[in-house]
Amino acid sequence: MSVIAPKFRLGYLIKAITDNIFWIIVLLTLIGLPAVMIVLIYIDFPVIDGEIWNPFRVFDAMTHPERSLPLVKNFMQTDFFKIAVFPGLGFAALIGGGVIFVERKLLAKLQLRVGPFYCGKVEGILQLVADGLKLISKEIIIPAKADKPIFWAAPVLFAATAAAFVALIPVAPGWVVADIDLGLLAVFAVIGFFPIITVLSAWSANSKYPFIGGIRALFQMVSFEIPLILSLLGIVMLTGTLDLVEIIESQVNFPWIIFMPIGAIVFFICILAELERIPFDLPEAESEIVAGWLTEFSGMMYGLVQLGTYIKLYAFAALFVVMFLGGWNGPWVFPIEPIAEVITDGIVIMPGALTVELSGLPLFSQEMINGTIWFVLKTVAVIFFILLPRGVFPRVRIDLLLKIGWYKLIVLAFVNIFIALALVYSGVIGPGGIM
Amino acid sequence: MVDSLFLGIAVLTIVSAIAALEMRSLIYGGIALMGTLGGIAGFFILLDSPFVALFQIAVYVGSIAVLILFTIMLVKNELIFQKKEDPKRRYAGIALMLILMISLGAVIFNSGLSSITTEEPPVDYKEIGEDFLIYYWPALIAMALVLSGSITGAMILARRQDGVEDEQRTD
Repeated sequence: MSVIAPKFRLGYLIKAITDNIFWIIVLLTLIGLPAVMIVLIYIDFPVIDGEIWNPFRVFDAMTHPERSLPLVKNFMQTDFFKIAVFPGLGFAALIGGGVIFVERKLLAKLQLRVGPFYCGKVEGILQLVADGLKLISKEIIIPAKADKPIFWAAPVLFAATAAAFVALIPVAPGWVVADIDLGLLAVFAVIGFFPIITVLSAWSANSKYPFIGGIRALFQMVSFEIPLILSLLGIVMLTGTLDLVEIIESQVNFPWIIFMPIGAIVFFICILAELERIPFDLPEAESEIVAGWLTEFSGMMYGLVQLGTYIKLYAFAALFVVMFLGGWNGPWVFPIEPIAEVITDGIVIMPGALTVELSGLPLFSQEMINGTIWFVLKTVAVIFFILLPRGVFPRVRIDLLLKIGWYKLIVLAFVNIFIALALVYSGVIGPGGIM
Repeated sequence: MVDSLFLGIAVLTIVSAIAALEMRSLIYGGIALMGTLGGIAGFFILLDSPFVALFQIAVYVGSIAVLILFTIMLVKNELIFQKKEDPKRRYAGIALMLILMISLGAVIFNSGLSSITTEEPPVDYKEIGEDFLIYYWPALIAMALVLSGSITGAMILARRQDGVEDEQRTD
């Protein structure tokens, strides 16, 4: 007999289960089914591929999964899919989660440690799940003298701002959540929110270390925003547009990093500072001020900030790829045309006996798959270079940090702008040049 | 759709403006001010000028509001703000504002501005830039000179007079 349930008997368990099943059936038939019928009267069913989709067809698709392809395809064209799954939050969170694990493992290997090892038997592959479960199940503790509304809102706002940043990044041709003409300006506007949220959350904790960290974060983010914006202006001058999609399309032949390596270096250093990564991690310097502006966060609030941080990391790396590395452009690694017989005749499993006809193929355009492959490869490479300094460099001092931002990077960004001007006026790029 | 959006943004802007004036806590006042400035950006989007709207967000919400919040946090508010409660002043202010708004509204409604309808597309920001660089370049350069002069003046004013060198500097 176990200590947790001393009066356990199998009969009681079976009785409880059957009891629950009985009540579920009774409630479903008496309340659930009439409610569903009433709702169904008022719903207009979508017309997909010339057929009206009703619940019976959905049940039919459940027994024949290949018939649900048009429904899946239709769903993938909706805004909800774009926001929640593919170029939006789900995709970014997947990459962010992968980065957390890879970062721990990579740092361990760099420092001749083992890293996460026990969760999931194989190289600690389930460590992330374990950490997530731990964060969710922990109690959220709010400091007694904290300003509660702001303290509660700050992690949510941080993750939401990072998600808004992700929404502006085009991943593959036609696959972007918010396709606006002034995409780059919108990126600058979104980046401007991070210091506000940081300093507000730091102030609202009403504690010493968060406030010091928040002030440091404010100094750092505000002073590195200026070279960050200036380093991208050269590309805007060369392409003559602020639209991120058009900037990617202008890099069909060559990526801009060939012409503006200085801008790329300045932008990369600014990314490191904006993301508060080593060597610029003064806002969270754990050996000086506990955990900086994150000190008072606990449980899932800390988890949300961490999620936002890694989504922001993905978004900045993706912005680097979009601006300097040519986005989704790359040689074809995926077959250009899908196999024609599969679309027209279906897949022949047993000749003459069994043929599976798939009406919704191809599910994705080949262009989109190829673009996504290249985009993810480049983004992962940039993220790797963002992670690498953490294993190598010490932390810089705050006055040196500000000096780097205000004296050196801004000057270099202007040098980059003058290179862009020289390229335009000498006729190398632009009308008459190679573009 | 646009009307309900307009109403929503108008209510947000006005309510947060009143809150920015009336809040006891200065930090919340600053946050309400951010709401007001963001609402104005919403108006610019409704007026088909996203360029101005995004700059409104980037400059006013992103930078000016941060400066205000930062200043509030660093300064002890008892030192600079002495609370003088005087209901007469408040009512006088509200009355003055109402008179101003009503007279301005009357002028605008009688001017024929409300009956103008145009079918023209929104102005392209590239045209604005070209105008600035070709037709209005003296104004642009004068503005740049004034700005750099004021920054230089501010730096001279903020310079330390006592000649104490920071001892921690090693570089």
